[in-house]
Amino acid sequence: MFAAKLHKLGDVKETSKQRFGSELQANLHAVKEVLAAEDVLVHEFFAGDGTRCAAVYADGITDKAALGELVILPLTRRHAPADARQVCACLCFPETRLAPDAETAAGEVLAGNPALFVDGVDGAVICGTKLVAARAVTEPQTSVTVKGPREGFVEDIKTNMGLIRKRIKTPSLRFEVLEAGRQSHTAVCIAYIEGIADKTVIQSVRGRIAAIDIDNVPDSSYISKFLMPRPHSLFKQVGTTEKPDILCAKIAEGRVAVLSDGSPIALTLPYMLEEDFQSSQDYFVSPYRATVSRLLRLFAVLLSVFLPAFYVAAQLFKLRLLPFALLLTISGGIQGIPLSPGLEMFFLLIVLEILIEASVRMPKYVALALSVIGALVLGDTAVKAGLVSSPAIIIVALSGISAYTVPDLAGTVSVVRIVYILVAGSLGPYGILLLTALLLYYLIGSDGYGVPLLAPFAPLIRRDLRDALYKANIRDLDKRPAVLGSRNQTRLRTRKNKENAHG
Amino acid sequence: MDNIKLRQICFYFACMMPAAKLLIYPATLAYDTKNDLLLAAGLNFAAQVLVLGAVLWLSARTDRTFFALLEGAFGRLCARIVYCLCAAFFLFSALFPMLEQRVFVTQVLYENVPSVLVYTPFFAVSFFACLQGLRTLGRAADVAMPLFAVSFVALILLAAPHADFGALLPVGRTGAGIFRGALFGVHRFADCLYPLFFLGHFRREKKTAGKVLAAFAAGALAVLVFLAVFYGIFEDIAVLRQNSIAHISKYTTSFTSLGRIDFLFIFALTVVQIFCLCVPVQLCVHCLRTALPRVHPLFFAAAANGALLTAVLLLNDTFLEVQQLFTQKLWAVFLVFAYLLPLAALPLCAAKKNKKREDGDG
Repeated sequence: MFAAKLHKLGDVKETSKQRFGSELQANLHAVKEVLAAEDVLVHEFFAGDGTRCAAVYADGITDKAALGELVILPLTRRHAPADARQVCACLCFPETRLAPDAETAAGEVLAGNPALFVDGVDGAVICGTKLVAARAVTEPQTSVTVKGPREGFVEDIKTNMGLIRKRIKTPSLRFEVLEAGRQSHTAVCIAYIEGIADKTVIQSVRGRIAAIDIDNVPDSSYISKFLMPRPHSLFKQVGTTEKPDILCAKIAEGRVAVLSDGSPIALTLPYMLEEDFQSSQDYFVSPYRATVSRLLRLFAVLLSVFLPAFYVAAQLFKLRLLPFALLLTISGGIQGIPLSPGLEMFFLLIVLEILIEASVRMPKYVALALSVIGALVLGDTAVKAGLVSSPAIIIVALSGISAYTVPDLAGTVSVVRIVYILVAGSLGPYGILLLTALLLYYLIGSDGYGVPLLAPFAPLIRRDLRDALYKANIRDLDKRPAVLGSRNQTRLRTRKNKENAHG
Repeated sequence: MDNIKLRQICFYFACMMPAAKLLIYPATLAYDTKNDLLLAAGLNFAAQVLVLGAVLWLSARTDRTFFALLEGAFGRLCARIVYCLCAAFFLFSALFPMLEQRVFVTQVLYENVPSVLVYTPFFAVSFFACLQGLRTLGRAADVAMPLFAVSFVALILLAAPHADFGALLPVGRTGAGIFRGALFGVHRFADCLYPLFFLGHFRREKKTAGKVLAAFAAGALAVLVFLAVFYGIFEDIAVLRQNSIAHISKYTTSFTSLGRIDFLFIFALTVVQIFCLCVPVQLCVHCLRTALPRVHPLFFAAAANGALLTAVLLLNDTFLEVQQLFTQKLWAVFLVFAYLLPLAALPLCAAKKNKKREDGDG
């Protein structure tokens, strides 16, 4: 029933480009004709001189207190204004605009902004008293840091724009608000710094968003699918973040950000794979510590992908990779296991994925029971029953944990890992190497918005390596990433580049 | 434009070129030249330097592609014929290294002999690489550089303590065997031809020739160091040590508590070798695409890889015969294409200048 109501709410007739006149009843009739929904209400009242006025608003998404105090009350205390501009001037509300026709007014009412009509005044005055049911700005659960800012984006696009503006106070910061979704009319905002972001990227992003012809855009992930240069790729091609400090840093480097109303996840373009190996904390700790952390993340991801595969290959094809003592321990552990190594590993990885999937969706109070079932029943008992071997469980656990050192890549890693297991089980070590070569060929050939996915490694861009796996001191990061093609390359003004600038 | 960077060409010569010479080449060279294997390889490298120098000289005088130079001098039809012949040569030159790697894979990466089908997915990788063009070839060199550098240095450091370099003395004992070894090794030294097909696809920088030749020297040095360590370890039984890359470091690692960690470096080098094996196939497809632009490149990539796959399957049990054919009989084909063709291309630049002058006079 609620869905049906929503549908009704959005049911704006296509043929409603009817201009308002000065007669109140006719204007109200025109609006109600367009908005037949039951939750669109009309409040009629009188101005100080007895002139009839009316406010049309959508119940539940309009701030009725603000509407009463800042819009209706000032009008009831004075003579009715003669035209729409005077109406705007006499209200105690800064965010007003004019709507000349019923369709425009209907769109605003559905967005939560009431339309004000005064008898004898042409058109409607729209008041921006939208009720924003936003949660507080809190630390996002997906990117928790020990050091550094803890603010996170929320679902309201204006709050998010404010969080960006709070950090970048330059007039060059541009927000372009577009709309996507035939039914949802979701506000989508492109944010960039003019003179730093590449114009061709901005144009391309703008064009792709404008071309989206989908009925509903509930989240920025919908937008990201349309911004991907290779829509069917397994690998991520659009950067995502929930933290304003990270987004602002990326905008300042020359990237373009895309915010979507209703989504706390901001998108950034162009995207490079190395971005996911960076953390905001890297910039708040010593560069040595940051470098070690980044190398650890890379090692963990490689371990997560290759360890199960090489374990399977080593068992099936008797690879002498393991030291003799370890080999003896493992061979003792795998004795009597009924499944083949590949099938055993595949089965355990599927169990791991199920546990992860369930733990994300399950209510928190059941999580304890889940961990007991997952760890004890599935793990310990399965080993005791001789269904799976202890080394396999250790390897799957290590692989699963390692994948989450880079949370943004965890989804991709889990799929790639399964493919590697299948290849290792069927083709052995050479299959693993061939798949690696194939993935590398795929990655080095993937460009998005003119930026290679594997930059600054392939193609090698020496200057950009200073903030890739190796994190240089902030004093040495005096230039923006060359690969982003910004016209303004200077990030840090040092004495040396100041002298160069002055000739 | 399908571009490749000068740096990537340098990385190719410094890192990918040597990777392809570390499998059976050291053992076959030891068979022909014994302790003088460094001299024979050095002769091959010296000849390559001459050819490479000629191509670089040509690149300094023109920004056109080799195809455009041929077309300007002899017409489009002739250029197409030359490019098709070169494509055939690239395809042909790719065959033996593939068979060599197949032997390496079956002998080193598996303890029980696997099916020949284990090797066949290589052609899927090669097919994919062929569709990507020269840009990907260059970027593969970028990826190969750290892989090769780390793995090669690690293997040499693990192996060098066991090498007796005195085994390389006295120098010149083999006499004519040195020249025979160099001549029989010609088929492994076709790399110097590649830059001819990069003409017009890379932007010259300051000291281009110096950089490329320095990178080539680094790659050559890596091969010579490997040969020296290899012969220093195995001496008289070096001939029997095929797949040398898998053997030189095992005496260090086998007895440690870490086990054969050198396998990790061998795997990394195998990935570099996969990239390296794809290069001639990629160039074959590049030549065909240039010569016959109306045909879809997918067809060329499929045809080239299909032909190589068929050849590998047919020649599954005849590696020694193929090796003999390539080393002892077909060296002349490699001399013509890899050495004489680049040298013969030199007058094209002059021909273009003369033509311009004639046009100017007219």
